[in-house]
Amino acid sequence: MDTLINKQGSGKFKYFVGINSLAEMATCKDRVCVLNILGNESRGVTPVSHAYSGGNVVFGTSPGRRGEVLETPAGDIPVYNNVREGLEDGHTFNTGVVYLPPAAVRDGVFELMRVNSDIKKIIILTEKVSVHDAREIRALAQQRGVDVFGANCLGVADAWNHIRIGGALGGDKPEESLRKGSVAIYSNSGNFTTTMASYLAAGGWGTTTSVSSGKDLYIHFAPAEFANAFDHDARTKAAVMYIEPGGYYEANLEFNKPVVACVVGRWKAKLTRAVGHAGAIAGSGDGAEAKEKWFQRILRVDGIYSPENPIVSQAGAVVTNIAHIPAALTAVMKLNGIEPDFAPEGDLTLKPWFGDNQGLPLPPELDIPLVEPIQPYKDQIAELSKQVGATFPRESMKDRSGSSIMDPKTQVTKVSGVSILDTAKYPLASNYMLALIHETSDENDLALFNTAIATKVNLFGDPAIAAADGARAAGNAPNTVLAAACTMDGPRRVDGARKATDVLIELFGHSGLHAGDQEGFDFSAIKPAPQQLAVLIGKKADPQAELMMSGLKARGAKSVFVDYLRTLGNPTGDAVLAAISTTICWSALIRKKISRTTARNLPWYLHLFATIIGASVDGAKHTADSFCGVPVKELASKWTTTEMAYLALLGEKPTPDKLFPFQVLLGLIISNGVGTISAQGAKGAVSADGPESPERVQINKAMIGFLTHTGFAHGGNGFEGIQFLIEQFGGTDLKDAGDPNHGLDLKAMGTKFAEAFGAEKKARKGVGEGVRNIPGVNHPVFKGQVVNKDPREVYLSALFKERGETNVFHDFYSALVQALFDTGVTANVFCVNIDAVIAALLLKLLWPRYRSGAFSEEALETAAFTAFLFGRMVGCAGEIDDHINRGRNMDTRTPASQCTHVS
Amino acid sequence: MQITGMLFGAKLLKLVDFPTAEVRGPEACDHEIKELIARHGEVFVKPIFRGGVGKKGKSGLLGRAKDLNTALKEKERLYFVEHKHGNAVAKSQGVTFEGAVPAEHEVYVSIADSTKYRAPTLTITHHGGMDIEELPKEQIVEIPFDPLTGLKSFVITNALCDLNAPKEIVSPLAQNLPKLWDLFHHNGMTTLELNPIRMMPTGKGSLIPVACDFKCGFDRDDPRVKRLNLPNDLFAVDYSDFEQEINQLRTYQGQSDVSVINANGTILAPTFGGGANSLVTEFLGDDAIISSDFGGNPPYEKMRDVMRICLKHWLKQSNVLFIIGGKANNTDIFVTFRAMADALREYVSERGPTPVYVVIGRGGPQLSRGLLAFKDVLDSLSLPYRIFGFDSAMTDVVRYAQAADRWMKAGGRKMLARQLGIEE
Repeated sequence: MDTLINKQGSGKFKYFVGINSLAEMATCKDRVCVLNILGNESRGVTPVSHAYSGGNVVFGTSPGRRGEVLETPAGDIPVYNNVREGLEDGHTFNTGVVYLPPAAVRDGVFELMRVNSDIKKIIILTEKVSVHDAREIRALAQQRGVDVFGANCLGVADAWNHIRIGGALGGDKPEESLRKGSVAIYSNSGNFTTTMASYLAAGGWGTTTSVSSGKDLYIHFAPAEFANAFDHDARTKAAVMYIEPGGYYEANLEFNKPVVACVVGRWKAKLTRAVGHAGAIAGSGDGAEAKEKWFQRILRVDGIYSPENPIVSQAGAVVTNIAHIPAALTAVMKLNGIEPDFAPEGDLTLKPWFGDNQGLPLPPELDIPLVEPIQPYKDQIAELSKQVGATFPRESMKDRSGSSIMDPKTQVTKVSGVSILDTAKYPLASNYMLALIHETSDENDLALFNTAIATKVNLFGDPAIAAADGARAAGNAPNTVLAAACTMDGPRRVDGARKATDVLIELFGHSGLHAGDQEGFDFSAIKPAPQQLAVLIGKKADPQAELMMSGLKARGAKSVFVDYLRTLGNPTGDAVLAAISTTICWSALIRKKISRTTARNLPWYLHLFATIIGASVDGAKHTADSFCGVPVKELASKWTTTEMAYLALLGEKPTPDKLFPFQVLLGLIISNGVGTISAQGAKGAVSADGPESPERVQINKAMIGFLTHTGFAHGGNGFEGIQFLIEQFGGTDLKDAGDPNHGLDLKAMGTKFAEAFGAEKKARKGVGEGVRNIPGVNHPVFKGQVVNKDPREVYLSALFKERGETNVFHDFYSALVQALFDTGVTANVFCVNIDAVIAALLLKLLWPRYRSGAFSEEALETAAFTAFLFGRMVGCAGEIDDHINRGRNMDTRTPASQCTHVS
Repeated sequence: MQITGMLFGAKLLKLVDFPTAEVRGPEACDHEIKELIARHGEVFVKPIFRGGVGKKGKSGLLGRAKDLNTALKEKERLYFVEHKHGNAVAKSQGVTFEGAVPAEHEVYVSIADSTKYRAPTLTITHHGGMDIEELPKEQIVEIPFDPLTGLKSFVITNALCDLNAPKEIVSPLAQNLPKLWDLFHHNGMTTLELNPIRMMPTGKGSLIPVACDFKCGFDRDDPRVKRLNLPNDLFAVDYSDFEQEINQLRTYQGQSDVSVINANGTILAPTFGGGANSLVTEFLGDDAIISSDFGGNPPYEKMRDVMRICLKHWLKQSNVLFIIGGKANNTDIFVTFRAMADALREYVSERGPTPVYVVIGRGGPQLSRGLLAFKDVLDSLSLPYRIFGFDSAMTDVVRYAQAADRWMKAGGRKMLARQLGIEE
């Protein structure tokens, strides 16, 4: 075909080949345009290539993102919607680099060839390009006279010119692997291109041009073209080729200079399909064995080189182990009278950088002594080993989260990898720790956490309660009231606890302490400096500290850090709070599961959590020694956080049978994924402060961001369901919604409503009005079946059934959806959705008060909204912390190009 | 992803109006078979194998019948017949009944991409109906053609003239074979083979090419395959549960290519890079459970999921967890290693400790952070391990992993299990 399409041919080829020498492969004159320059891979690779090559990328494309730039150490690269716009702006280029997704690759290549008549080279990085598209690319490139590399390759690099075009040859530090020398590399594997360059350096050989060919079925710049360019490059004295099975590209090569060919893949003959390299699957006669023979013939050797049997000729050698390449090359070059480019750098013997026998009697072949890593890794590792806690790579976290994820199929959200159906079974305190520490907590953690909250929930004399009361009096909804309280929990108020956390981490970070509740830890090696001690202890006893420590004692909580503070004298309240939070997170911190930033912010989160619960109650119920009538000492020594939340909301201590549904309610609503308005509000607040300077992010402001991004439609809407249920049950004499013998005919109630609703629907339709929704019924995802179920509702129904609990409101909903179908109002049985479950749970708790007149409808609405905030603050704390750890400054903004004007 | 046989072959050929032998599937009832025999004088009874299974005729797996009784006997013989071809064993899942096509000429035709020409290539001979490899070269022609214009009649005419083919077959083939290009190119095929095409007299003095056997391969990376609406389970036989689970994560960012080599192996080797995959697979041989390429800079979530699936299926039986790759160019070692280490930790928290020796060899961006992240987890799990940088030869690291496997088999595993407080 090649002869059919390209009439001229090129030199000795019957088809077009543009590059006649390896020196022309990647030159200082090449100017590059990158398609999909803002794609994930390009964003990481192109800046390194651009800087390494002295700024050879003239522009990139990304549809819809004209005007943006790709920042690089060598200056910003402009971005256009398409190639034509870049050319119209005066840019010129001869080389295209394609980072598009597979389905778009062919069109991108065609765009480069048709729009830019100067195009000479195209490098395709994308993996999984279809054979269909590859065959068309080959044909058009031949017609237009363009050299193509890839797809599924890493491009080309020239160590002499310091030019890298396309992918990431040499990784993020190309100069480290691509040492200037006399050997060219041609490799079917992108990774092995760099690996072989490193191996060659160990043998004293540097490189000229390195070519990553890719190993798809179509290899556009094939070994024959490489052999020709190699022959014409005066700089290159030898070549190393890494070749895999499949294809006849190497069958008839001719070389005039020495070559070491590494043929790998005999074993692959047993595989029935390709793994990794799509083209690396042999048909008949093009397997690894055949290719070894081809190269043996071409390189005039009668076997495979190995250190034990070093078969080489002046023409070269064939190896099947890439580690043998440097030695084989040196032996071949010796026959040609050519010495290595430089003194060998290191060797390739086994050098474990890390290891542990775990006390097992390992044989000598396994018990290899550890070796210091080579530089710069040795210094990096030494530095990193000093670091306590994890470091997360920073990236744009707009609409992304490492904290929560919602499965669009089931609508079930997971927080820190745990489904909300499971968090519904955990106490509030556990969920808060789960969101921030990403691990489930044990009894000791709970004792510590609950003590901290209990000693902070009473806001008597605290400006936070004054702010909350003021906001309440002005008629604000609970979210605004709590936001006002949170403003008082600014950075200065938690400064002491954060500093104390820092000191504890400094003192214990390298002490060998693995868990915060480890028993019998020896403090003798902990030597605090005077300025560290000053952060931890005060001159006289601090009542807050005393209260916390007595609470911990009463609960039998274990803490190495609190024990340590006790040895010092009079710890401050901040120090004890820091000791509590550090104990909770220590194990995760030391195992690098969480960052140090999270650990030092944990006291702040505890503060905010307590403030939100405390400030939800009128200031009059906060006294010098009690909260909602419960002595503070009692709270500190006994109460759980869920109980305190219940107390704040309903004014009484819950019995276990009341506590469980309340806990389920809160656990269910901790998160609904990162797309929710509340999560977006929290993340926006972090983003605006700039998470790249994490110490400057105001976590209380982020919590306010969450609170202000809830409202009557998001969070407060739970009341709609309650209102609906009140309408249905208001006329009954129901006293206890948990009584299985309630005596109500739910089916009849459902039918009555359904018939009325049906009539209303008909009437509204008649006058062209929309039909109102029934709160808690139907769901945009769980519909279309004969009988529809919201899986979350199904799960919870089963959970309550298993516990033998009745909820008449929930049962009514089940009867209602059936009645709507039976009366022909709905075409199928709609689902009872999760909002209905929440409304039913909440109203069951509030019903006695509502019935007795103690709670007005307004109070019911406030309680419903507040309950939502109690639950959701957990998930939002997780989002805040996640964004602080991973996000970039201002990363939640929407580019102007994606915003639209509506007139 | 291959299809052989006329059950689906005839359906696919019908899409482009290419004439085929009349075919009935395993559900054909007695009177249908009887009518088929009545219409064609004879039926061929062929077993249905999923995937690519060749040389059936040679293995006696082709039944012929001129009456219902014989047809049913052949059906019984071939319905669940086993076929060994090389190392592969395939089991039939039913039979087809194909009406005989009278003809004087049998033609072999295939279209495939040739690496010799780097173009789609037509291979044709009028000496069809037999193994193409057995024919002398001068009796076959290979003609590359331009994919932008497609397979045209003149390409076929020229090829048949070069072969000195009987003149009566030239025109019908020139008219009909170009249709195959549409089927091949627009539906994600990489190979298409009809052997034989029988040149059936029309009764009007001309011939018509009738496809009597069918073979094709699809490109798993080509979404055009979906246009054919082929049943999902048609290719399912190619994949184990494990592979299917991993395949669901197959996207273009980050490879997730995997193949089970030995379900009874003892070294679990998540491998990074196509080159490393070839090399590691080569050296580990049957010790390896899987052959994989997880390179291509997968994001954290994907890497953790891939590792979670690998561990779920194989860690329990593994003596050595061997994570190996060269010096990465673009894959972030910190991200991928943190993801794998987290998956390992989660596995142990969910299922308890497991005795495994861990061997790691890697280089690339964020190497120090990545290795340390893994080291921390291994320390916390109290597992024996060695971690190598890229300055150790990869092949020696592979041999180290094999030595660890031998030691585990020779009593090390028991010792380690005891130390971890588990009974095996």
